[in-house]
Amino acid sequence: MKQFFSLCVLCLLLATALPAYGDIARPKPSPQKSRIVLHTSLTIVPDNKAYEARLQISQSSLQELRAALADTPTNPTMAQAITHSSTRTMLAGVFMFLSLAFAGIWLARSGQTRSQKIVVALLMATAMISAAAILTRANAGPPGSYLWRKLPQNLGKGTPTYGGIDIEIVPDSNDGSGMKLIIPQRPN
Amino acid sequence: MERTANIELAAWRSSEAALVVNRQLSVRVFASILLACALLSAVLASWVPLQISIVTVFLFAGPHNWFELRYFLMRLPVRFGKSRNFFLVAFAGIGFLTLTYISLPVLYSFGLWTGEAWSTILATWNTLLLLWLGVLVWLRGKQKSRRDWSWAFAATLGLVSLNWLQPEFFSLAIVYLHPLIALWFLDRHLRRTRPAWLRAYHRCLCLLPILIAGMVWKSSQAAALPDDNGLFWRITQHAGAQLLPNVSSHLLVSIHVFLEMLHYGVWLIALPLIARLAKPANGESPSTPRIGGSIWDLKTLPLARHPRGFPKLIAAMLVFGLFVVAALWFGFSRDYSTTRDVYFTVAIAHVLAEAPFLLKML
Repeated sequence: MKQFFSLCVLCLLLATALPAYGDIARPKPSPQKSRIVLHTSLTIVPDNKAYEARLQISQSSLQELRAALADTPTNPTMAQAITHSSTRTMLAGVFMFLSLAFAGIWLARSGQTRSQKIVVALLMATAMISAAAILTRANAGPPGSYLWRKLPQNLGKGTPTYGGIDIEIVPDSNDGSGMKLIIPQRPN
Repeated sequence: MERTANIELAAWRSSEAALVVNRQLSVRVFASILLACALLSAVLASWVPLQISIVTVFLFAGPHNWFELRYFLMRLPVRFGKSRNFFLVAFAGIGFLTLTYISLPVLYSFGLWTGEAWSTILATWNTLLLLWLGVLVWLRGKQKSRRDWSWAFAATLGLVSLNWLQPEFFSLAIVYLHPLIALWFLDRHLRRTRPAWLRAYHRCLCLLPILIAGMVWKSSQAAALPDDNGLFWRITQHAGAQLLPNVSSHLLVSIHVFLEMLHYGVWLIALPLIARLAKPANGESPSTPRIGGSIWDLKTLPLARHPRGFPKLIAAMLVFGLFVVAALWFGFSRDYSTTRDVYFTVAIAHVLAEAPFLLKML
């Protein structure tokens, strides 16, 4: 009797699941957010012979930007996909490190034959090369504000400053300004 | 006396020869059926992939899950004994991972996260799945005194690392690899019940890459499949057309449908047929799976046959499974697209359940 009752309750639950899901309120539309479509670098060079400021964009960067602006579905390469997410790349590196560590412990504990050693050496070499590639692609480094911190002094000295830059597409502003270059500055 | 002995020996030799001939004949019949099914599946999947995908999922998705449930119940011991921790981890993982997987499309419908955040969520779920598998392999290895399976952690973490690089591709790999697990089940089952067929089966498996290569050669230059309606779009997306835009969607759907057909064939035809053909072992105990009975015979399940078993619960589960199969058919006939979406979301439970039962057979 109890089993029959449980079965009936389960059937009732399943039967009411879809109508209940149908009653869920429509989610509020999320406000239109700005999105980063391209990450590139920017070098600010003071030039005392120039009359106009110029933003020089390389041909390849322009093509990437054009593709992003057209919102065309591009097929990013493996390397591009990895570099677009440093969080995922870092986690991949951490798990790769853990994998190698566990593999080392397993090797140390298990008896090794000669062929096993060769296979392990090959695997370790492959893993090390992969890890090095990931670290190179991870774009790990200091935050942007650190690279731009000497910009005022460099401008005064007339020396170039190198740092990363994001090209961001934002909704049109009311003040009519077309482009805005935001340089991160931290108070000393 | 000597003449009588000679007659008996001659009779024994003739019966032995007949057995050998019968065995060779049955192996040939088995291999022929396998090849015919594989070839027919490959031809149909290459010819009209979308239509075959719709028909096969409609007809076989529910029944093959019922057969899997019955098979798993057959392999489940009455008392877990030393495998208690293994089964506890297995069932807890199946429950947790299924619930979280089902909640993903519900959360997606609210539009709370960006595409990048979804990749992270997907990678997190894949990580939990892999860690669960790693723990299961390790627990299973602890039951094997001769083998050291502690390499599982290194392999698991290596796979987790790859998953974090491309979580979407990792999920797509599960879609394509899951049907092949059925072939592994068949291998282990033959090893136990029909070892004489194993060699022929392995030879047939060698033809699988050749068939797939033939499908790639035929379909790689084919025009992309029409995905102008919701259903066709879902089928092509499921096969990975969005993730692999440079690969013909005709090829992707063809191979996916072909593997799915093999998967259904193993669970619906091969394993039940072998179970019927196999002779019951002598001196079997109530706790061992009994082979050779009808699929409706509850006595073939140790959980129902054992004095300490649960015959009513098992019968209720199987009857409820039949009810779900009928409900799926009804849903497919009313709204195929929605039912297909719901099915492939909920069906993650049977994908997960295959892992512990396969490990127990290794």
